[in-house]
Amino acid sequence: MFLFDTLSLIFVALILLGAIPNLFYSFGYLPHIQRKTHYQVHYFAFIISMLGVVVAGNALVFLFFWELMSLTSWQLILTEVEDKETIKAARFYFFMTHFGFVFLLLFFLIATNGNLDISFEDMKNIAAAFKYPTLLFFMLVFGFLSKAGAVPFHVWLPYAHPAAPSPVSALMSGVMLKVAIYGFARFLFDVLYPWPLEWGIVVLVIGSISSIVGVLYALSEHDIKALLANHSIENIGIILIGFGMGMIFDSLGLKTLSTFAFIAALFHVFNHMSFKSLLFMGAGSVLHQTHTKNIEKYGGLIKSMPVTALTFLLASISISALPPSNGFLSEWMIFQSMLGSYNIADMSLKLAIPFAIFALAITGGLAIACFVKAYGITFLGLHRSKNAKHAKEVNFLMKSGMILMSLVVISLMLFTPFYISWFDKTLVSLHHISVYAKMFPHGIWNMHSVAVHGGVVSPLILLASLLGVTLLLLFAYKVLHVKTRVYHTWGCGYKTSAKTQYSATGFAGPIRRFFNWLYKSNEHFHKENIGEHETKFSDSNYEVHVKPLFEASLYESSKKLTNSVSYWVYRLAHFEKTRYAAMIFNLMLLVLFSYRIFLHEFSWATFTLELIVVIISIKVLIIGDKK
Amino acid sequence: MIIYLTTIAVLLLLAPLLLSFIKSLKMVLLFKRPSSVFQGYRNFSKLMQKETIISQETSSITTYAPFLVLSPLLVTMFFLPPVVHGAFYVSFVDAFTITGLISLSTFFLMLLGLDSASAFGGMGSSREAFISALVEPAMVLTVFSVSMMAGDLGVGQAGVNLAEHFPKEHMASFLFAGISFFILLIAENGRIPVDNPETHLELTMVHEAMILDLSGIYLAIIETAASVKFVIFASLFVSLFIPFGLEYSAPVAIVVFIAKLFGVAVAVAILEVNTAKLRLFKVPNLLGISIVFAFLSLITFYVLGA
Repeated sequence: MFLFDTLSLIFVALILLGAIPNLFYSFGYLPHIQRKTHYQVHYFAFIISMLGVVVAGNALVFLFFWELMSLTSWQLILTEVEDKETIKAARFYFFMTHFGFVFLLLFFLIATNGNLDISFEDMKNIAAAFKYPTLLFFMLVFGFLSKAGAVPFHVWLPYAHPAAPSPVSALMSGVMLKVAIYGFARFLFDVLYPWPLEWGIVVLVIGSISSIVGVLYALSEHDIKALLANHSIENIGIILIGFGMGMIFDSLGLKTLSTFAFIAALFHVFNHMSFKSLLFMGAGSVLHQTHTKNIEKYGGLIKSMPVTALTFLLASISISALPPSNGFLSEWMIFQSMLGSYNIADMSLKLAIPFAIFALAITGGLAIACFVKAYGITFLGLHRSKNAKHAKEVNFLMKSGMILMSLVVISLMLFTPFYISWFDKTLVSLHHISVYAKMFPHGIWNMHSVAVHGGVVSPLILLASLLGVTLLLLFAYKVLHVKTRVYHTWGCGYKTSAKTQYSATGFAGPIRRFFNWLYKSNEHFHKENIGEHETKFSDSNYEVHVKPLFEASLYESSKKLTNSVSYWVYRLAHFEKTRYAAMIFNLMLLVLFSYRIFLHEFSWATFTLELIVVIISIKVLIIGDKK
Repeated sequence: MIIYLTTIAVLLLLAPLLLSFIKSLKMVLLFKRPSSVFQGYRNFSKLMQKETIISQETSSITTYAPFLVLSPLLVTMFFLPPVVHGAFYVSFVDAFTITGLISLSTFFLMLLGLDSASAFGGMGSSREAFISALVEPAMVLTVFSVSMMAGDLGVGQAGVNLAEHFPKEHMASFLFAGISFFILLIAENGRIPVDNPETHLELTMVHEAMILDLSGIYLAIIETAASVKFVIFASLFVSLFIPFGLEYSAPVAIVVFIAKLFGVAVAVAILEVNTAKLRLFKVPNLLGISIVFAFLSLITFYVLGA
């Protein structure tokens, strides 16, 4: 019933690492929640259900905890129902999570032959006998990746995460998405093991697109929690790039590289958990103090909230993949595994992988821009509103939650070899070969890549040298006794005020303008001119709204399609009797013709002729004249 | 080890000189009376003596960020490829790490721009974020391509490999990667087609806008960081793309290396004199060329093996 192998256990560790600091934070946050019992019951049930998912040993238990996880998180989003947006977000989340659930259920029904309490080992035999394994693979993709938030199933994240209370957002984004990755990995390894090459490519493509889409929409976002939610999409994309590379290498028989890429993906799973939880906690503290999610209303919070600001800075450096942070190390490993594409013989695949590298690299660049924006606008400069002015540092429990989580971030940075040996053991237990000895041939100081012309990185030496040089510089600065004075500096001749600072909209302006073909943003520019002068105005307001492309195209248009289909069904249901008769006649015609076409000899002439007959009879008898 | 430390010291000392040299060469080419090539040192010593004024809107970021802008670049100096055959070099740092360290420096520079609450700083940071976001993919792809041709991703090892055995059979991809890297050198250092370091005109400013509120020692640190960054890029360029001269005896090899650095400076100066600054929204086209060349380099290497 329950399964405690290494893969389960490292995810148990992941959940515990994510949940324990979160508990502290959550208790600090509790006084500000109105429905306390409701919150606590669902909060603990949520953590337990996630633990249940990763240790589930058969399909029934897995599905039970999976559904419990969905329902409790759905209720947690509804903790503070203040406006209709929250209810809408919760409904959307409910729909998306059950969209995935349907596919999971289908997967399990096929892979277990309807007997839901057999072990994963037995499922493997049934799945191997199934004729269309790709169908099973796509069910996993739909089921798990819709929960993980990969494109094109990512649309619920920027709605659900901001609506939930902050500790819950941290848990959902930091941990729950990883549980979905666990499910994906678990059933790919345990049930559908020998993968065709195409599956890996599918995962790689999904990952590349997710990473770019996530970071681009994060840049245009001004709701701080929606911004972070979009970054979750990006990071899931990065994880899937590593995962996809691992699958590709595995199906090509490059076992060492495959293990390396999987370790990179797992390492990024851990890293994303740590820094994303920390970022959500920081955002929660800011939100809690200023009572607004709008990033344009913050500013200057570093002076009143130093602990939040410092931990947020640490997480920002880490998520932007800047050395020597843990985020950098995992992204470095993913880059290194892509360098392994040198070993691939298939030319078209070899030429395609640089595009994934391009995607990952541009994601990194844009992530830096986005976090400079998020950090700079939130914490630096002057207070942009009264709310920001009245912000104070959060209470002790919330602070300790953030500090604990930053310790997790730092531990991932300092004890990289330890974590990697752990991931290595996991993959060995999944019948992959061990690469730990190849990655750390000369002790833990240098981390080697296993690719042929691969590089080396030494996180500890980097960290030590950076700290050393910075401290040396600071020491020299102290020794010099520089005369400093705090005074006005030149602000273009104007008085520097909160209004003259750069806004978040302005900061992202160049990038938004460059990617305008994707954003298709709605710009609202309102200006009260004085008299007839075009250039003189008393009041002006500029706002930009970006509607996500996937939501606008894929989701809205499928909604429209469903609407029009249901309209026609409605029309059909209200026909008069003669039309029903005509429909039956047409259906018979269709059956007879199809029988002729498919079971007897096929010829284009008869096919065209019969098609014309059917179309005419449908037009004349059923649709009739247009009114 | 002595040669290794000497090289770093020489590069550090050379850093302000190179930028001043570019400036005076440009003035010569424009038929102006050139400023001294030692102007960089003069500026530095003058700024060190001045009182530092910190904007009253700033926070602790401004107090620490200048050091954090400089220190990743100083660390990078220790990781550059060797200039003399057999000299010590750091073998455990690869090109991705150097890219990352440079980004780390830029990250703090952008925060510094936003910290003083002036519109200029924000503008500079915003533009820098835009440009460096597009530089990143080109840089990674170029690094990727060069590492394959050099047979090692570690920059030190790659420099040695290239100097010992230049891959003549991969000349085409090598050339493409070189063009791509040269564009990056210009873009990352804020030279003319991308940014004009000499004007204080809001339409053209990127780097200068971010540091407008700094003075005294902080400004000296940031200016040093800018020159160190140029030296890093220039020496990476000459070690990876013009890899000869290592086999001479130590003093000659260092002189040859410095001559190559000045060669890069001359190339940059000539380019700056002959082009106008691009509009900000035309900069992506230039960086796009860089990305395309990096792809071309990879594709020619893979497909033609040339």
